[in-house]
Amino acid sequence: MPSAIELIQSLVNGVGIGLVYGLIAIGFCVIYNASGIVNFAQGVFVMLGGMFAYSFLVGMKLPLALAAAISIALVAVVGVLVQIAVIRPMWKRKAPMFAIILATLAVQLLIEQIVILTLGDQPRTYPEFTSGGPLKIGQVAIGYQLFWVLGCGALMVGLLTLFFNKTRVGRALRACSQNREAAALLGIPVGSMLVLSFALSAALGAAAGILITPMQYTSYSIDGPFGVSGFIAAIIGGFGSAPAALAGGILLGVVQSAAIVVFGAGYKNVIALTVLLIVLLFFPKGLFGGLAKRA
Amino acid sequence: MPSLIEVEGLSASYGHVAALKPVDLRVEEGEFVTVLGPNGAGKTTLLRAISRLVASQGRVSFKGQNISGLSTHRLAKLGIIMVQEGRGLFGEMTVYENLLLGAYNLGSEIEKVEGRFEQVFGLFPRLRERASQVAASMSGGEQQMLAVGRALMAGPKLLMLDEPSLGLAPKVAAEILDTLGELNRNGLGILLVEQKAPLALKLARRVYVLSSGSVRAELPANEIKSHHDLARYYFH
Repeated sequence: MPSAIELIQSLVNGVGIGLVYGLIAIGFCVIYNASGIVNFAQGVFVMLGGMFAYSFLVGMKLPLALAAAISIALVAVVGVLVQIAVIRPMWKRKAPMFAIILATLAVQLLIEQIVILTLGDQPRTYPEFTSGGPLKIGQVAIGYQLFWVLGCGALMVGLLTLFFNKTRVGRALRACSQNREAAALLGIPVGSMLVLSFALSAALGAAAGILITPMQYTSYSIDGPFGVSGFIAAIIGGFGSAPAALAGGILLGVVQSAAIVVFGAGYKNVIALTVLLIVLLFFPKGLFGGLAKRA
Repeated sequence: MPSLIEVEGLSASYGHVAALKPVDLRVEEGEFVTVLGPNGAGKTTLLRAISRLVASQGRVSFKGQNISGLSTHRLAKLGIIMVQEGRGLFGEMTVYENLLLGAYNLGSEIEKVEGRFEQVFGLFPRLRERASQVAASMSGGEQQMLAVGRALMAGPKLLMLDEPSLGLAPKVAAEILDTLGELNRNGLGILLVEQKAPLALKLARRVYVLSSGSVRAELPANEIKSHHDLARYYFH
């Protein structure tokens, strides 16, 4: 049986990884709410964020802020390209939704292979953003990177909430999520909004990848696990608002971490999926009101 | 002088079913035109085809300019605004947000947006009282007022409405149609699709009778005196 300290430590670690899941989950929600598409390539944006940041930070020795900004921008461009090259043509030809979702899976596999061919298959990481640490509170150790994840996560959720509620384009995106025909009838360019949703979602995924890489590592193969965890977090949160998705991520992260301590690492995903099942049994629309509430 | 909108040979189908056979129709500047017809006549498809919400064939011109290939949001920018059947509100947003989205094309022209708010609140004072209320929580009549108000925020030159009286108490429906009459008297071109003939005929100058996807008659509104007259056109 794990000690109380081990459990508290796992809780802290779980919050950190959970925030990252939450950011990925928000990415899922942004695209889903704007288009009804579940983008299974979401994990790719996380992977690319870490890979690009590694190249700029370690390879080109750029300062952290610049490396992060360029990486996020590049991944956003990848998101736009995915929308324009894959999603839009299928959308225009009225492809069934399951075909579009399958195409996003194909995109994930394709980009994985491109990354192996161009950047290699070796895992890589870079130092935490603030050197030193960890911070010791009693016997519980908190790495400084966790504070970066917390701070950046809170900042991004705050900015997203402002964007969706206080800006013209943000409101238009919410309108598209509720009624695309009505939005178009008011002059809102729904197609451009879908492109924007992919850019935004990719940028969020990239930020998550940049933040998590120093705590773990990045490689071509992390996209699947992160994508699945982000998807589960989005479902637990109800595919709704950004704070709900973040809360879903934190819950999942904490449960996974506790499961590792109590049952061992091999049971991490079993427990995560069990939690998902329980949530869906009692709250079929997610824990936070669910699919009715948007962005 | 070219018509406000002119539709020539407009047709649309759902799969192999022709919902709208080639239809000709026009609305002049400042004119109130009503399209009447039974269920399944193609009335909704007609408006959806004009707005490009469904794929269609044929020619549509607006003030003499061919707009057949334009997408829905570009038509809105020209001032062709449609209020959908069922209102098409953003139900989880407030009344204020719905109205603000109506003025999407104005961008950051704050004075114009404020002016339109005043116009809409002048016509529907209840919307001012309910500004912070979530749209889905309002009564059917208030929701219809919001749908019309939001369309007015877009600064329409042609306002198309798909059965705005549907599901409303007769008094509320009459109130909304009276407002449409007032807007028309101020010069707004209106194309109204309705099943409730008596209400719609009070306002319209001309009427198209649609049945089985085709125009059965085009005549001045005052020539239709009774349901018997209409039924004659529906089934001839």
